[in-house]
Amino acid sequence: MTDPKPPRRFEVPTESAKTAPQPIPSLATAQHFPLESVGARVEETPESDTRAERAVDDALSPPRKRRWGLMTLLSASLVIGGIQCGVQVYEAVIQNDPFSGLWAALGVFGAGLLARSGGKELLRLKRLRRHAKVRKRLENTPLDQPLLADTARHMRVSRDDPHWRSYQNAVNAHHDGDDIRTLFSHHLLGPRDRAASQLITRMSSETAAMVAISPITLLDMGLVAWRNMRMIDRLADIYGLELGYASRLRLYRHVLANLAFAGASEIAVDMGSELLGMNLAEKLSSRAAQGLGSGLMTARLGLRAQRLLRPLPFTRQEQPTLGHVRKALWQQLKRTDERRG
Amino acid sequence: MAWTLPRHIRDVAERGLDRQVRLAVTGLSRAGKTAFLTSLINQLRHAGLDAQLHLIKASREGRLLGAKRELQPDLSLARFPYDEALSSLGETPPRWPTPTRGMSELRLSIRYKSERPSKRLLGETSTLTLDLIDYPGEWLLDLPMLRQSFLDWSQTMNALLTPSRRTHMAEWLEAQSDLSPDQPADEQQLADLSAHYTEGLHRVRNNGGYFIQPGRFLLPGELAGAPVLQFFPLLSCADWSDEALEALPPESLYKTLKARFDHYLKTVITPFYRQHFQRFDRQVVLVDVLTALNSGPEAFDELRTTMEALMQSFSYGRAGLINRLFAPRIDKLAIAATKADHVTPDQHAALVELLTQLMNEPLNDLRFGDIESKAFALASIAATEARRLEEHDAQALSGTTLEGEHVLMFPGEVPSKLPDAAFWARQGFQFTGFRPRPHTEGPLPHLRMDALLDWLLGDKWQ
Repeated sequence: MTDPKPPRRFEVPTESAKTAPQPIPSLATAQHFPLESVGARVEETPESDTRAERAVDDALSPPRKRRWGLMTLLSASLVIGGIQCGVQVYEAVIQNDPFSGLWAALGVFGAGLLARSGGKELLRLKRLRRHAKVRKRLENTPLDQPLLADTARHMRVSRDDPHWRSYQNAVNAHHDGDDIRTLFSHHLLGPRDRAASQLITRMSSETAAMVAISPITLLDMGLVAWRNMRMIDRLADIYGLELGYASRLRLYRHVLANLAFAGASEIAVDMGSELLGMNLAEKLSSRAAQGLGSGLMTARLGLRAQRLLRPLPFTRQEQPTLGHVRKALWQQLKRTDERRG
Repeated sequence: MAWTLPRHIRDVAERGLDRQVRLAVTGLSRAGKTAFLTSLINQLRHAGLDAQLHLIKASREGRLLGAKRELQPDLSLARFPYDEALSSLGETPPRWPTPTRGMSELRLSIRYKSERPSKRLLGETSTLTLDLIDYPGEWLLDLPMLRQSFLDWSQTMNALLTPSRRTHMAEWLEAQSDLSPDQPADEQQLADLSAHYTEGLHRVRNNGGYFIQPGRFLLPGELAGAPVLQFFPLLSCADWSDEALEALPPESLYKTLKARFDHYLKTVITPFYRQHFQRFDRQVVLVDVLTALNSGPEAFDELRTTMEALMQSFSYGRAGLINRLFAPRIDKLAIAATKADHVTPDQHAALVELLTQLMNEPLNDLRFGDIESKAFALASIAATEARRLEEHDAQALSGTTLEGEHVLMFPGEVPSKLPDAAFWARQGFQFTGFRPRPHTEGPLPHLRMDALLDWLLGDKWQ
């Protein structure tokens, strides 16, 4: 056991002590603190991270796997291609060959475009890596206020955001990790959770209606792919965090599964109705069922994406379920069916 | 005249609907019961508007609308002096509320919006009737006496006489030294000796002692001066055999004291137990760990044994639906270390840890009895403000001491384990009393009262 810290009394200075210049006392002998040092409240802890924190950061960050070889190859070929095109333009001007000159100019332009989008992609990758780091830190270290302030910054919540303000108002120095988590979930994540749930319900019911109406297999698959990707992007936008590489891949696998479901069920419905000789009403209701299936798959994907995107994991009570999405879906489909019938 | 249900039938009906809770608050004297209740009532009064109750789920969701004081059901009990307590906090300089003596009660009706659709059917808002009962923890210490005879009790008290207790009780020990069980009882002599005994108990309590029996001697209330409170352990019984004692005539000293002891059990302890204690639904036990830590190892150990004895009273089962109608029992018990504002926020976790260790045995018993229990560190009325001293990377408390001096201090580290001898030798925990911050209107500042309330009553506000 280490020695407990001894009690200390910091005397409140008199007027003369306040004005007289004082050397900064060292910690070992410190008994007197000038009253000005009372300034900052405990909850306003500075955001500059300490050396220990940075060490933890470095230890926790994912290994830097830069593919230098590939990068060099790509950028070098771009640069060389650009230079070559430039040289060609020059030669074309000298040799008075307008067509090859124009082609070369087009080449330079293309190389420029490529370089720009490549640079953008690099920037985005860098941002993704930073987000991955934040998520990892939230998982591995006990919650405290600077950490959550950091998270809010990554969620692109501004200091004047009303949610952030109400969170700041609620949180206090004596709150422990669990309290902070509760308050952060309620004030900052609660509204975003609700928006996300609404989005998932709307997108999945739209998908359901579209799939139910569309008659062609390929169109179905295209619709599902488009809606699913768009939903994920908009969910990411709501939470302000972008998906890490691994989670994005996992989600795309789900999108593919959904695609396969939409295609397969469309074929099954077509073949089944031909084989069984269904009448129009029966065909319509089987299409509605197919739409419902696709909608539910989309909703499941949405809920999964929401789970991955949310900076703090859901507690068991907060966890949104398929139940309420399903209800909204069925209502939407019934309306569509009535309109068509 | 409109026909209404008689009050007690309505109480039973409300209890059946789960809309009535009897919340009992206890703790040894100076644990902070009065401040706790004052703050609790104050927070709930301001719940709908400006109270800082962010850790209560219903309040966070804006479903808690506020509370109102009602006429209390038991007219024979004292009403909790809320207004007096609040006005003493508003004085200049502010003063801690005068401690309550004995038992008091206050009924609050709390309005809330239910989140359950089934409850919404019954109306847009629901009302929870909260009966707050405050009683001294010393009374609970008497409950073990129910299992003892006068002879057993005398021996227990004899065993309890440590050297320091002997100095506090010297007068009584001196006066009773020549008593013999077979001598005829003299009314005046008994009164004098009991007075000495009571004085001795007061001295023990004032010097950091906690285990005091009979508890009613310290807070006699309306029983002051009655013969039922005029008895004491007869130490000379030890030399006599059981048969010889039984054979003594009824007017002998032993038989007289025994009769009073039995009467005390029958008319003082048992009624409290039957009429009040068995009817509590939820219980808060307040413990002042910091003062004990300040007083030294002996006081700390005594606090521990006392709390263990006190907590034995709570060994009950869980309240089911039928039980709730006919024999309500405690189903949730919160243990709270009070005065957490007297240490810096970074010490709160250690304080809760220490409290859990201190109450380890009773907590295990509670868990065995399927009673939910949880430990908290709270400050009913926060008297200090936590500051961060950047240049020293330390936290400190800023407040005004009881003597009126404005200080900025770090009171020392709270051990997170039961302190051993080495700790006592090394440490210099310096617990300073603070005076409450000036308060005019609005909710009282507090630390973690909301967490406690949410845990205790959150299920009733669903």
